[in-house]
Amino acid sequence: MSTATSGMGSGWMPTPEQWMGWWQQAGQKMLAWPKIMEAAQKVRVGITPSRPVYREDRLRLLQYETDVEKAHKTPVMVVFALVNRPYILDLSPGKSVVSHFVNRGFETYNIDWGVPSDGDCDLGLRDYVLRYMDHCVDTVRERAGVDRINLLGYCMGGSMSAMYAALRPEKIKNLILMAAPVDWSGDDSLLQVWTQPEYFDVDKMIEVHGNAPAFWLQSSFMLLKPVQNMIEKHINFYENMENEKFVQNFLAMETWLNDNIPVAGETFREFVKYCFQRNLLIQGKLEVGNEKVDLQNITCPILNLVAQNDHLVPPSQSLPFNDAVGSTDRKTITFPAGHIGLAVGSRAHRELWPKVCDWLQERSESI
Amino acid sequence: MSMNGGFPQPGSDPFTQFWTDFSQKMMSAGMPTPAPSPTEEAFGKVRQLFFESMSQHAEQFMRSEAFLSAMKQAMDNGLAWQQMMNQTLQKSLAGAQMPTREDANQITVLIRGMEDRILDRLEDVCRRVEVLEGKRTSGKNG
Repeated sequence: MSTATSGMGSGWMPTPEQWMGWWQQAGQKMLAWPKIMEAAQKVRVGITPSRPVYREDRLRLLQYETDVEKAHKTPVMVVFALVNRPYILDLSPGKSVVSHFVNRGFETYNIDWGVPSDGDCDLGLRDYVLRYMDHCVDTVRERAGVDRINLLGYCMGGSMSAMYAALRPEKIKNLILMAAPVDWSGDDSLLQVWTQPEYFDVDKMIEVHGNAPAFWLQSSFMLLKPVQNMIEKHINFYENMENEKFVQNFLAMETWLNDNIPVAGETFREFVKYCFQRNLLIQGKLEVGNEKVDLQNITCPILNLVAQNDHLVPPSQSLPFNDAVGSTDRKTITFPAGHIGLAVGSRAHRELWPKVCDWLQERSESI
Repeated sequence: MSMNGGFPQPGSDPFTQFWTDFSQKMMSAGMPTPAPSPTEEAFGKVRQLFFESMSQHAEQFMRSEAFLSAMKQAMDNGLAWQQMMNQTLQKSLAGAQMPTREDANQITVLIRGMEDRILDRLEDVCRRVEVLEGKRTSGKNG
């Protein structure tokens, strides 16, 4: 909005010149639509080449391919949440967490959980943590020829990584958690308030739907920030629709945001009941497949990445982790970003991820 | 759960609270009301403050008992309707001798159970083989 800045009217009422300016601007923006439509058809997400090296049911373990020579013995395995697709960590050029590790010479893997079908509604945390994750870890260990690997967990994948590291500590060399909830005692997050047992009957929901439906998860996340997601985002897009770079980033993000997948019913039920409602993980009372998850069992170096402005996983849900583990080498980085900004924000890629790679490099054996 | 935190005048109605909060934000940002000459920058600032107020009040509202109760009721009704639909469809499909989602789930559960049992047996066999190999090795050494 660069035209019509002269003030002829009184108060906040726009002047006739301003109205004319806005109409002209709207006309110019209409001309940008064909380019936007073309860009929308060419959106590419998940930029680093990868290939599946292990499959089980719907899961695929992806290994990133690179020309960069391997510099570290210990590989990195990324564990993403079950709610969305994992390519957010490799979204587009300059917005790829994965590429930081790949370019530093780390052998890097990522778990793509796949889309659970109706028949997968009985898969629980036991299946995801003790079966799928364990098999992926074993595959990575075998391929890299090491006993222990580096684990990076994001969001719910971070909680699952913490559970896994507590249950199988002998297989983990370094643990990095990224906006990972572990303590649900507070009410900073709206999700925490909405999932309280008096307002949310998770058993009934899973009984009826089987899995937690993607559309329902999507609308819940959208409702957490209604003004931003339903109004501001679109105004921002309108104002920047002639900026090619902005449109590309916007479309890539929208592709990911709208690519929701259902969560296996039993896992969702367990996560809501045992984590959100009873907060068992941080208290050391959570059981996964008849095994007690004691965070004190985690003794490897810990790096806890907390997003300061996270509305989904507020810092109060992530910060207590470092005090609950048995490790002596533990570090927290609180970064001024939102939940997704931690993975795709320009500043995070400029300032945070090089630091994370340095931290990991210091604790990894060179070849 | 805070019910009224952040509101400028607890006790007044939400509509008044919102506009009071908005005008307070405008004043603290140094925006004169009404502006002598509305510039693009001023419009942008007003819009930003308006949305900030809206966000804050939306968050407060979505934490309120009224919203939570309404959400629960809407969800309960939605689930009841969905359940009724599921049952009707299941009955119709069963009547037409066609497999339902439940049947497919049942088969998956059966296959998974079978897989688990086979894997458990294999692990058991592996353990026995290891014990026997251990005994054989110790026998040779002894």
